[in-house]
This record gives sequence, C-alpha cells and structure tokens, in this order.
Amino acid sequence: MTRLPRTARREDTGADEAPEAGAGAATEPSEGPAKAGTDGGAAAATDQDTTRASGTDEHGTADEDGATDEDGTTDEDGTTDEDEAMDEDGTADESRRRRPAGAWRKAAPVAAATVLLLGGAGFHHAAHQLRSAPSARNHALTDTGATTRVSGDVAEGLARVFSYTPADTDAAERSSRTVLAGRAARQYGDLLAQVRTNLVEQRITLSTQAVRTGVIELDGDSARLLVFLDQTSRRDRAAATTAAAQLTVTAEYRGDRWLIVDIKAR
Amino acid sequence: MTRQVRASAGNRPALAVALVLTLAAGGFAAWEGRSWYAAAHDDSAAYAAQRDRALAAGEQAVQNLNTLDHRRVDQGLDLWETSTTGELHKQLVDGRQEFTSQVKAAKTVTTARVLSGAVTELDDRAGRARLLVALRVTVTAPDSKSTEKDSRMLGELTRTDGQWKLSGLGQAPVGGTAAG
Repeated sequence: MTRLPRTARREDTGADEAPEAGAGAATEPSEGPAKAGTDGGAAAATDQDTTRASGTDEHGTADEDGATDEDGTTDEDGTTDEDEAMDEDGTADESRRRRPAGAWRKAAPVAAATVLLLGGAGFHHAAHQLRSAPSARNHALTDTGATTRVSGDVAEGLARVFSYTPADTDAAERSSRTVLAGRAARQYGDLLAQVRTNLVEQRITLSTQAVRTGVIELDGDSARLLVFLDQTSRRDRAAATTAAAQLTVTAEYRGDRWLIVDIKAR
Repeated sequence: MTRQVRASAGNRPALAVALVLTLAAGGFAAWEGRSWYAAAHDDSAAYAAQRDRALAAGEQAVQNLNTLDHRRVDQGLDLWETSTTGELHKQLVDGRQEFTSQVKAAKTVTTARVLSGAVTELDDRAGRARLLVALRVTVTAPDSKSTEKDSRMLGELTRTDGQWKLSGLGQAPVGGTAAG
C-alpha cells in the first residue's frame, strides 16, 4: 500500500510536468490546470492522492470550457501507468478510484451530445405529432382565404353545371369542362346524355343555387364540402317547383381554381 | 516529453470534433425545441381544435334532438335539455309537458343519423359557431311502418363552461334567398 501511492505519484508528476512544459508555448488558460497539478505535487505524500483525485474531478468539470488538452493527455498516460502499477503490485484501489473519473471526463461530451440529440429528437417528434394531428391538418376555417375560395368556386361551379334551358344544354356541358374533373365529369356526362332528350322534348328549365356551403375538410389542394342546393325546375309553362338537395363534394385545386372531382347526393 | 506532445497533438482534433458535435447537437436540440414550442402555442391549431370540438358536439346534439322514443320520453327529453343552452333550451323546457303528451299520444319512435356536417362560422373568443348538418330521420309509427326523411339543418352553437351546446336549430329554408 505504501509503495503504490509513491509509484503512482512519481508517474503522475512526470505526466503532469510534461503538459506544463508543453503548454508553456501554448495558450494561457491551459496553465491553470497544469499549475494545479504541480501544487498538488508539493503536498504531503499521503494527502496528495486525495488532493489529486479531487483535483482531477475539478478538471473534469472544467473540461467543457475547452481547456481539455492537457487533461486528456494526463488522463491517458495516467491510466496506462496505473495499469502497469496494478500489474506490478496487484493492488488496484487507486486505479479503481481514478478510472471512473477519467472515463467520465471522456464520456461527458458524448453523454452531453447524446442527451441533446435525444432531446432534439423528442421535441421533433412532439412537434410532428402536434402538426400532423387531424385537426391541425384540416385548414377549414383556419385558412380563411382558401376556405372562402373553395366555397365560392364550388358553389359557382354547381350552379353553372346544374342550370340549363332546353335550348342551351350545350352551354352547361361546356361549363362542365371548366368546373368538373375526374369522376364528377364522367357522372355528369352520363347524366346529361340520359336526360338531354327529355329536357328538349318536355322543355324543362332547371336553375340551381347553392344556398349554404360548409367546408368539412381542407388539406392543401384537396377539400371536402357539404353543400345545400335549391333546384328550381319548370316544365314548359307550368309553375316552378323547388326541391332541396344535399351534396358532399370533393374538390381539388388545379391550375388556378378548385375543380369538383366527385359529387355524392346526401 | 515527446510522447506527451505527440499524444496531445493527436488528441486535439478528436476533442475539437467532440466539441463541434456537442455544439451541433445543442443547436439541433434548441432548433427542435423552438419548433415544438411554436407548434404547441400555435393559435390556428387551437382554433382548429375548437372547430372540431364544436362540430362533434353540434352533430351529436342535432342527432339527439331528432331522436325520441315514446316509451322513454323523459329520458329522451332530458338528453335534449342537456344538449342545448340559451333560447333553444328555454323553449324545450317550456314546451316539455305539452310535447310529452303529444309524443305519447302519437306513439312514434324517431331516430336520426347524421350524414354529414360542417362548421361554417366559428368565433373562438365569443364561443359561438354555426354549422350545417345533413340528416336522415326515420320515424316509426305504432303500426311499425317507418318513413325516412332527409333533412338539412342549420344549427347555432354556444360554448358554456367549455362545452359546445346547441342554442338554435332549424331547417334550412328551401326556395329562399341564397346566403352563406
């Protein structure tokens, strides 16, 4: 036991002195830890180990300031020396007490970086959860400009394609090309082909108005709306009758306006 | 001595890299923290959440007010009253007795299913909202014949004690002037 501290001290002092000399030409802050080490060397032999051990810990805390060069060096050498000492003497008390401190000093930046990365990833995940929540993804009413725009385009489009006179079904069909697309366009083509003869023969005039429009969902270029329609039809010169219709409409923003891509009667 | 210098020189880049990586990790954490804070305090997200709560409560309330079983009138009307507030609530409470006797005499069972609904206006601060609901109402008469009727309704919601309740409900008029 008496031999070990002495060996350790001799080795340690040697290790400590070197960086001080090396640091002579180097920057000022590096002198601090090196001097502390030398001061420790002046203390009594038995006390010194404790002093040095605590001194090491302090350096470990100070590492983050960037004055790490000498400490790192000391540490590596110290570890090697102690390993030798342990082999020679078979007593490992001292090295056991010092190694965790050294390991910690090396692990500190890694641990800090890991904690920060995990924290960042945690925040990223939480923010993603918040932003991708169904309510946050739906911009109906929250994006007032787009909400108004899609309501207007859809209401106007429905009024145009479902309003026609016997003489001018072509006009309705023409406007259908500018406001309908996809499934809605095919449905409309089929519908018009079926009723066209009747329209002309029975002289039916249909006029459609979207009386209420509500945006159910609005996500980027896609929207779903609930539309209440009033449809007034007149057969030749008979009195007009008005019927109510409720539709859910799917619209997509293409080019410069919202096109109706699907219509479902409710 | 030489050993020390060599070791020191060999360590310097490694430590610099460690420092840079730690700083980068710190920057990443700070950036993501800020991003999370912004998302958590996003006004439009809170507004969107209110919109969805208003819609869910509104659709449920409209369905409740179109559902009534003559065998359990009191239960049904209690539900009507808890689904409403303000003027509508007052009307329901005032007309309860008369309505109860009417339903018991007619012996009808009315059930409703919401087909679709949308909020058209939301004043988050005042706690007021309007919604459209497309509804299918099934009325079953005492002779077990049932009729289905689609209806479209306009509801007005008011938030009381953090809960959205119906304060007004009516059929959307047909053949009137366009609005909304």
